[in-house]
Amino acid sequence: MAEILKNRQLQIIVMMLSFLFVFLPYFLNVPQLNTASTKLITITSIVTAFTIALAVIAQFRRGMNIINRRSRGWYFKAYMLLTLVLMVGFSLISRETGPYHWVMFAVVNPLSSVNYGILAFYMASTAARAFRARNTKALMLLISGFIVLIYQAPLTGAYFGGFEPIALYLGSTFAMAAGRMFLISVTVGAIVFGVRVILGNEPSVLGISKEEK
Amino acid sequence: MAKDSGGILRWMAEYDRRYVYLALFLVMVGPLLRPIGMPISVSPDTRQYYQVLQTVQPGDKVFFTLNTEFSGYNEIQSGIIATMRVLVEKHARVCFGVAHVEATVIPDLIVKAVQAEMTANDYQYGRDYVILGYIFPNEAAVAAGAQDFHGVVTQDWLGRPIAGTFLDEIDDWEDWDMIADFTTGIATSYLVNHYALRGTPMIMNCIGVMIASEKPYLDSGILLALLQSMRGGAELEFLIGHPGPGLTAMDGFSFGHYMLIIFILVGNVGYFGYTRQQQMKVDKEAK
Amino acid sequence: MLFSVPGIIDGRFIGFLLNIAMAALVYYYIKSKKMVHIRRVPGLDAIEEAVGRSAEMGKPVVCSFGIGGFTYWTLAGLAILSHVAHLSAKTGSRLIVPTGGGDQSLIVRPVAEEIVKTAYTMEGVEDQYNPDDLPFYSGQQYAYIGGYVGVMQRVRPGSVIMTGSHASEAMNIAETSNAVGAITITSGSYISNVAALACASDYILIGEEAPAAGAYLSDDPSQRASIRVQDLFKWLAIAIMILGIAARSLGNDLMLRLLST
Repeated sequence: MAEILKNRQLQIIVMMLSFLFVFLPYFLNVPQLNTASTKLITITSIVTAFTIALAVIAQFRRGMNIINRRSRGWYFKAYMLLTLVLMVGFSLISRETGPYHWVMFAVVNPLSSVNYGILAFYMASTAARAFRARNTKALMLLISGFIVLIYQAPLTGAYFGGFEPIALYLGSTFAMAAGRMFLISVTVGAIVFGVRVILGNEPSVLGISKEEK
Repeated sequence: MAKDSGGILRWMAEYDRRYVYLALFLVMVGPLLRPIGMPISVSPDTRQYYQVLQTVQPGDKVFFTLNTEFSGYNEIQSGIIATMRVLVEKHARVCFGVAHVEATVIPDLIVKAVQAEMTANDYQYGRDYVILGYIFPNEAAVAAGAQDFHGVVTQDWLGRPIAGTFLDEIDDWEDWDMIADFTTGIATSYLVNHYALRGTPMIMNCIGVMIASEKPYLDSGILLALLQSMRGGAELEFLIGHPGPGLTAMDGFSFGHYMLIIFILVGNVGYFGYTRQQQMKVDKEAK
Repeated sequence: MLFSVPGIIDGRFIGFLLNIAMAALVYYYIKSKKMVHIRRVPGLDAIEEAVGRSAEMGKPVVCSFGIGGFTYWTLAGLAILSHVAHLSAKTGSRLIVPTGGGDQSLIVRPVAEEIVKTAYTMEGVEDQYNPDDLPFYSGQQYAYIGGYVGVMQRVRPGSVIMTGSHASEAMNIAETSNAVGAITITSGSYISNVAALACASDYILIGEEAPAAGAYLSDDPSQRASIRVQDLFKWLAIAIMILGIAARSLGNDLMLRLLST
């Protein structure tokens, strides 16, 4: 049975059928396909959610391995596994109040917020360091950046309305063009990648190494 | 003294980044501790967002999606609470769904923030609002919810069945009157693909770095309105007449931008006064 | 809308057609087994220079392939990781590959381990491969950043090569890399990141350059075929845009109606 399930051709056929079940109802007006597609998508959603369980098991296996070997920093791994077990326990007690709520607001959220907030400092120091008028192009970039930065400060618009039309023009032409370019590139790339996976030309997605291919 | 110490110009060209960190910290924290109350301007995009919110009718079913970690919530909190205030005052029916485990606590925070308005408008859980919790782990879940809502979601965040709530009226994407998406980019593209592109009206409040990538959707009409980051939230608070965390932060926001401009100018003065001179000297000696 | 096709939902015919055309072209190029020519991406020279510099200074190389699952960008990141692993093995530099950052990253990790191990084996220095140099720093993005930044602060690498799909942690990594004096080479897979990374990095692979670099390095005909098909469709998009602008300027909305069919 295991050998049948590991068969690469069978995996590709299942992938192709699943793809068609989801792809075709978006374009074709076939109500029966809609129902089947919804069921399949729901199943996929549940199976994908199990990757969290897989991640927890994998973390435990790796963690116990490192702790048993007493590798460098093994105590951090032990602490991580302990907090993992504790949080699962806390969430089973109560999600609205109690220790789970406290850990989320006192530990997880502030730590996450700090990492996010640090980005502001990094962006500021990067901008202060990188915006040098080394040549004509850099000068144009500097002037555009200057106008957009000035406009973004809400206080500016209250006294000097002249920056708004220029900043909006820059945002709705050059920035928008770059955004659309990215959207087109990424979308086309994703479609082409998907076709390659369905045709079986991406063995790594199926968990097959290049040598086995 | 070294032969070519450069003096103040050298410092201006090569200042330590920690001066930037310190200055940014001071100009942002100062006004938070001692608010000044400086005026702000309102951008056209925020006015458009406000006008779209005004078109919400009593009883409209609004899908309030929180595609953000808790860290991102700090940036778009003002827009989230201001939008919720408007929706409550319009007596819309609101369904909360989140796309990240850290965001599961956010709906409770929002409800607490607008508790007075909800009490005044006699909001009842189940009839007027429901909190579904973490229902968007991946694109498959979003797609399934768009096609068959009750096939995917059968209970709320606390495990209570949603049968008997206003969600009985929702079958698929067509039944939502609006999607209000508050995002740092987690499941937003999935919502656009499976809801907005099928015709469900959608508005968005995104973080600053996402503005360039979401503007094409606004321009093409897929998004009805786009509220831009904390500044947009502050402007919305100003428009609805309810000052909140956004307006409080605008003083520091403005000063932070001006401080950054000053550092850029200082760096360029140092570049032209010192670095470039050094480069020209080296080139001359090489010749 | 210009016309409707029975059986196909209104407004989706052109999209359906374009999808089929793309799939057909990819199939054609893959089956023809032609080795499509792709020009060498300039970023690859920067990568080789960076690894060489690290070897001269006796400092390690840090290389990551993103925090996503098996996506287009992650595969590009893995191809570049393979190249960097080969270079590091050849030059005798220590290679550190921080992994994690997302729910799907656990699935990609074994592939990365295999890639690095194979590279060292093929260069004949299997004993230099150290599995502890591929640490897993959590499936949570910000916990991953903490570990990544920590390893950079401790080991002071000579170069940091950050490709694949990175979200907001990209800025953290690029700036810290700059602060420790490493050559920083990044790839911007999200437009939100590109502007900031362009300022923070010494070299950036913008958008499609990373997958193109991956296709160039992998010598895989199907990857090169993908790049060729993407290029063809970009030309098509440009042609449609030019025709659409010309038509609209003349007051004709034919292109708009055609694309809405």
